[in-house]
Amino acid sequence: MNLLTRSSINYIFFSVVAFVIGGIIFYHVIKNVYYRQIDETLKTEKLLIEEQIDFSDSLPDFRQVFSHMIEVTVFNSPKKKFEFIKDTMIYDKTRDKLLPVRQLICENTSIQDQGYIISISKPLAETTQMITTIVGTLVLLFVFLTGLLIFVNYFISKSIWVPFNKTLENLRNFDISSGTSLALTETRISEFRQLNKTLDRMTKKMKRDYINLKEFNENASHEIQTPLAIIKSKLELLIQSEGLNEEQMGMINSVYEAATRMSRLNQGLLLISKIDNNQFHHTEQVDLQKVMEKTLEHFEEIINLKKIRILHHFNAPACPQMNPALSEILVSNLVSNSIRHNIEEGEIRITMDSNGFEITNTGHPLTFPPEELFSRFRKSDRTTDSVGLGLAIVNKIVQLYQFDIHYEVKENIHRIKVDTHAAKKPD
Amino acid sequence: MKILLIEDEKELSSAIQSYLTRGNYLCETALTYNSALEKIHLYKYDCVIVDITLPDGNGLDIIRELKEEYIDTGIIIISAKNSLDDKIIGLDIGADDYLTKPFHLSELNARIKSIIRRRNFGGTNEIILNEIRIVPEEMLLFIHEKETTLTKKEFDLLIFFLSNKNRVLTKESIAEHLWGEEMDMADSYDFIYTHIKNLRKKMLENGGHDYIQTIYGMGYKFLTT
Repeated sequence: MNLLTRSSINYIFFSVVAFVIGGIIFYHVIKNVYYRQIDETLKTEKLLIEEQIDFSDSLPDFRQVFSHMIEVTVFNSPKKKFEFIKDTMIYDKTRDKLLPVRQLICENTSIQDQGYIISISKPLAETTQMITTIVGTLVLLFVFLTGLLIFVNYFISKSIWVPFNKTLENLRNFDISSGTSLALTETRISEFRQLNKTLDRMTKKMKRDYINLKEFNENASHEIQTPLAIIKSKLELLIQSEGLNEEQMGMINSVYEAATRMSRLNQGLLLISKIDNNQFHHTEQVDLQKVMEKTLEHFEEIINLKKIRILHHFNAPACPQMNPALSEILVSNLVSNSIRHNIEEGEIRITMDSNGFEITNTGHPLTFPPEELFSRFRKSDRTTDSVGLGLAIVNKIVQLYQFDIHYEVKENIHRIKVDTHAAKKPD
Repeated sequence: MKILLIEDEKELSSAIQSYLTRGNYLCETALTYNSALEKIHLYKYDCVIVDITLPDGNGLDIIRELKEEYIDTGIIIISAKNSLDDKIIGLDIGADDYLTKPFHLSELNARIKSIIRRRNFGGTNEIILNEIRIVPEEMLLFIHEKETTLTKKEFDLLIFFLSNKNRVLTKESIAEHLWGEEMDMADSYDFIYTHIKNLRKKMLENGGHDYIQTIYGMGYKFLTT
């Protein structure tokens, strides 16, 4: 539900409630005013009748004087003074039906000590009709006004929120890794201007931090290369020295292995930051089947050593537009991953069609949640020698070209599917 | 053989120099762009190793200058930047090889050997060691003039050993030489073992010497003495 619908619905709801309550109150007020008027008339008539009764013995023909709805009954014994007004129905002989009336009934004793009851009735039909008409007209007027208000409000709001919607659209399309900044349109409304200004400042800062971080990553990785090169070369020289005992050799070896690991790790991070920085801008149509075949040949010996069976079925080559070096890294990382986490005498199935490829391999159960598979430094405890960046790099490449990657594991069969169909040139 | 090493990092430069000197090269060093230019104008080198990022200039310019004067000098670029563009430009203007830091000294040594062999200064490309004769381009190995067939990996391994005679070659450097850097599997070490076993067997069967020595936990050494 958008803001406009929401506000309109609220508006309608509260208007309806206000009109219902207002209508009821209005109806009662009008009714009271009329009733009071009727009651006054009734009382005046009663007074006139009482005067007549007091000053003359005979009762006048009230029917002619007032209306046919007056009845006076005279008794010989005195009556206690008593008077009330009520709504009731009486039978109208001329129209042969019951009519709603306002009726005043008064019991009293005259000067001559005769008791009498006066009953005066006023038909209400006209009054009710009048009240209904007045209230009805007013309600109609209210409804029309409210409708008009909502309608006008809707259109005004719509035009008022235009800059906001534009800002929203801009934000949605904002990509921190792309070079473009948030292009916000000018607006005269100060709140929106403030919002835009704040957003602009925020995104600029974000962008600056992001670039700083990227630069830091890349610089740090570069700067680490040289000391690492020194460590490794000095160690290599040290290894060549004569007269080292086994213990010393062992220690040197550990250091050497650690340095090698570190340099691999560093190269992996450097590669990730290069992909992030879009330094692989050259793209061409890459035949992934050829890349796959080359990779399998490259790993042939390891596959044979682990006695892994390779079953491949290439329906058609997938030929996405991408950087050739990255295509090799993508395929090679996925294949080496399926070899590394495989079991002795396991199996790897590779299928490919023009939409992408799929690698299925036997292996051990995953020791962490599958959604963390593509995050950095996530590795199973089984193969401690890997640096844990391979699939993070795969993920980066997949993101860069907007491929789809899908992973699932079922009964120790791992399946990774790469859909290159949605391939798009990076900006 | 005269080699010029242009590298601004003093420690790295001295390590490379001392490794190369042991391999009977005459290795001179230049720590800056200007001293490097001076040296290439004064002397003739068989091979020049250039770091692209120097504090006072770009290594690529040195290559351009060098190529103008001595067309047949071998050039190896070493760089901390594993940049494809630099690599392409470097190879385009006449460099023979590109190595990313950090590298194994044995790998650098093997690349130098290979370049010098390819440059063919003596007229022949063959590697001869006692009873062994190798024709690298055709992947041929003769032991006592009898042809012995090797797989491609075994052949690469043998040449790598011969380029680094009497040196300890670590398992890592062998693995990287044979399979490249992406090979970070423990399995690959098992493989080196298998390959070396096979190579040794083939050489022994054909009357060759047992040259390959295992250095426990560390790697292997090709002993000729």
